[in-house]
Amino acid sequence: MKRIGFLVNPVAGMGGTVGLKGTDGLYDEAVKRGANPGSWRRALATMSRIHDCGFHFVTCSGPMGEDILVKAGIPGYDVVYRAPARSFSSDTRAACQGFLEAGVEMILFCGGDGTARDLFDVVLGKIPILGIPAGVKMYSSVFAVSPGAAADVMKSLSPACGVSPKRIPIRETEVVDVDEEAYRHGELKTRLYGFAKSPYLPGLVQSTKQVFEERDEERAKEAISRFLAEVVRGTPEILYILGPGTTTGSIAQQCGIKKTLLGFDAMKECRLVGTDLNEKDMLGLLDREEKVRLVVSIIGAQGSVLGRGTQQVSPAVLKRIGVDNIIIIATPHKLQETPVLFFDTGDPDLDGSFGDFVSVISGYRVAQRKPVARNRT
Amino acid sequence: MDLMKTKILLDEEEIPRRWYNIMADLPSPLDPPLHPQTGKPVVPDDLSAIFPMDLIRQEMSPERFIDIPEDVRDVLRLWRPSPLYRANRLEKFLKTPARIYYKYEGVSPPGSHKPNTAVAQAYYNMKEGKERIATETGAGQWGSALAFATQIFDLECTVYMVRSSYAQKPYRKSMMQVWGAECIPSPSTKTRSGRAVLEKDPETTGSLGIAISEAVEDAASHPNTNYSLGSVLNHVCIHQSITGLESREQMAQVDDYPDIVIGCVGGGSNFAGISFPFAGDKLTGKHPDVEIIGAEPASCPTLTRGLYTYDFGDVAGLTPLLKMFTLGHDFVPPSIHAGGLRYHGDSPIVSRLVHDGVIRAVSYHQSEVFDAGQIFARTEGIIIAPETSHAVRAAIDEAIKCRQTGEAKSILFNCSGHGHFDMSAYDAFYAGQLVDYEYPEQLIRDSLSRLPKIGQ
Repeated sequence: MKRIGFLVNPVAGMGGTVGLKGTDGLYDEAVKRGANPGSWRRALATMSRIHDCGFHFVTCSGPMGEDILVKAGIPGYDVVYRAPARSFSSDTRAACQGFLEAGVEMILFCGGDGTARDLFDVVLGKIPILGIPAGVKMYSSVFAVSPGAAADVMKSLSPACGVSPKRIPIRETEVVDVDEEAYRHGELKTRLYGFAKSPYLPGLVQSTKQVFEERDEERAKEAISRFLAEVVRGTPEILYILGPGTTTGSIAQQCGIKKTLLGFDAMKECRLVGTDLNEKDMLGLLDREEKVRLVVSIIGAQGSVLGRGTQQVSPAVLKRIGVDNIIIIATPHKLQETPVLFFDTGDPDLDGSFGDFVSVISGYRVAQRKPVARNRT
Repeated sequence: MDLMKTKILLDEEEIPRRWYNIMADLPSPLDPPLHPQTGKPVVPDDLSAIFPMDLIRQEMSPERFIDIPEDVRDVLRLWRPSPLYRANRLEKFLKTPARIYYKYEGVSPPGSHKPNTAVAQAYYNMKEGKERIATETGAGQWGSALAFATQIFDLECTVYMVRSSYAQKPYRKSMMQVWGAECIPSPSTKTRSGRAVLEKDPETTGSLGIAISEAVEDAASHPNTNYSLGSVLNHVCIHQSITGLESREQMAQVDDYPDIVIGCVGGGSNFAGISFPFAGDKLTGKHPDVEIIGAEPASCPTLTRGLYTYDFGDVAGLTPLLKMFTLGHDFVPPSIHAGGLRYHGDSPIVSRLVHDGVIRAVSYHQSEVFDAGQIFARTEGIIIAPETSHAVRAAIDEAIKCRQTGEAKSILFNCSGHGHFDMSAYDAFYAGQLVDYEYPEQLIRDSLSRLPKIGQ
């Protein structure tokens, strides 16, 4: 493949750092809360690694594409869509139409589930699409696990960059979207939006999130939460920040606390200290507390531990907490369906510090060792 | 040294006539077992409700050697002396200068080292006039060994088999049936201890600790019944010493002595068997440099992560308190395929030797253990039990170290049993379904920090 469409959603992910759990329709609120556009950095992380791979890019003007290509030092591109200063989903769709008319063989885009859905509206299954993850939620499986992994997938498509260019399987894969309104009210509703085509390399491209609902899941959650509630009670000097999810929710429940389903809540000695914390709140707590542990669950099948819907826990927060104080939890069934875990915190060095394997608490006093996808960012 | 020899054999008449008791060579006596109610050291009478007096005497014996009754030796002739193999093909595969030997205990009728003590225990119970023995079994090796031994001496046998193994290894249950024993999945509704566990968690996978509680309760509540334990206790280690004693003779035949002795460790019996005669040589200064390694699962890392303290041998707290490495008697290890190594505690003697630095311990994840089992099967031909594969893993690692350093060390390990009833575990390995369980040590310590201490 040589002729590639390239598109960036400049506002993708902005809602995440300020605890908005999405940016769709909330751009103004995100700006008001102090969010800055950050997707360009992730796009640049990919593009600067493939600048000499011989691709010919077809793109949009300004922050929707051209600015990144210039920064990455990529020569010889065509701008087929003039983007306005502030872009909307209609611009994404119009740009993709332009890409198709310009004869691209594939589209590389940077955004979240909303961006993937806009692309899919136009592209359907005509050509493959690949996402550089930069949104708040990325439950579709058209995304690479990290910007670096996206670069690796692209490299393997290029005779100029791949050591020996592989025939990458193009698979039909799910585009899903989360009902943002329900999500903000603590309910996770994903729906299948359609099947796109996407290049797939195991370990580099993520799987679709699965929500497991078996009876055994409830038993396993109970066992995990019983154990961790004992840990919390046994360490009254430690502040615990519990991440989103029903498994972390059941730890709070064991402690007699009601936790928000999708937010980060803090507790100490089984007393609630703060709910729905954003980055600033967490940094404030870290200033005050001697020792803090973070408890996060994995996203089933997809394998994300940090970096999908957890943008509040920024690299700055994670570094202050310390990798050794991060407790990862998941039920055995979820782990069985999730061959590899990955970290995509936005800081490649931090992602790498988790090592090749991590220990995941999977039952009462039981952990499992799980491999971590090689860090490519 | 005969480099080409594959099997090093002893004649039937060379079966040892005496067991070795390492307690005689410990620099100071073991901390005594404590009565679970009084907390005072147990006396023989405390144990007589469930054990025959001959075994109680052995349990407390300071004698270095104990005669093996001729009736027991006569049964042992069915498979003893077991062969010692030189692992020529494994050495070649590993490209190691090390000389690797393994004592193969899979030749016994039940397929493991377990009948070495099962026969002796059944004999002493028969001699005392008992009619029935109750016991527990993890992977089914011990249960089938005791079933085999009790039918020889015309005793009844009831085996409480850890539920996860009962489901994983149905043919072990069939073997017990062939030898006339009754096999019950544990926890069961037959005992108070079993019912208590089921009430708390009806879906529990069970554990050796729970099964021991059931068997002890069964024995204590039936006058014609004694209890029998397949590992952990001193008299079991004494009976198992026959493997190490034979191995030492067999290695002497080829003019060799091990630099490293390895066994897998659950309760410690096969490990004690292969290693204690050599540990004795180390303690008495005959071979001070011999290195002894116990290999255990990372999911149940008693020796590598446990605390050296008094704890119960079972979940319900019916057994005496033993000074040993323990993960806590209420710890239910994850359901690994090496079911025989799922025990929260360890032999007090093995524990003491680890604590004193005479022995060191290593731990492995399931997948690396099965990988070693596969290498062994593809080089030496024998498909071994997952428990045994822990010892093979350690032996391979030591042999690879020799390749790196160029040292031609002599490595001996106990190949404690075959894996013919573990094929579903191998299937899981090939399907990529093995789970690498771990023991979250720090969090467990945190969770226990506010609980009352036992035995202190």
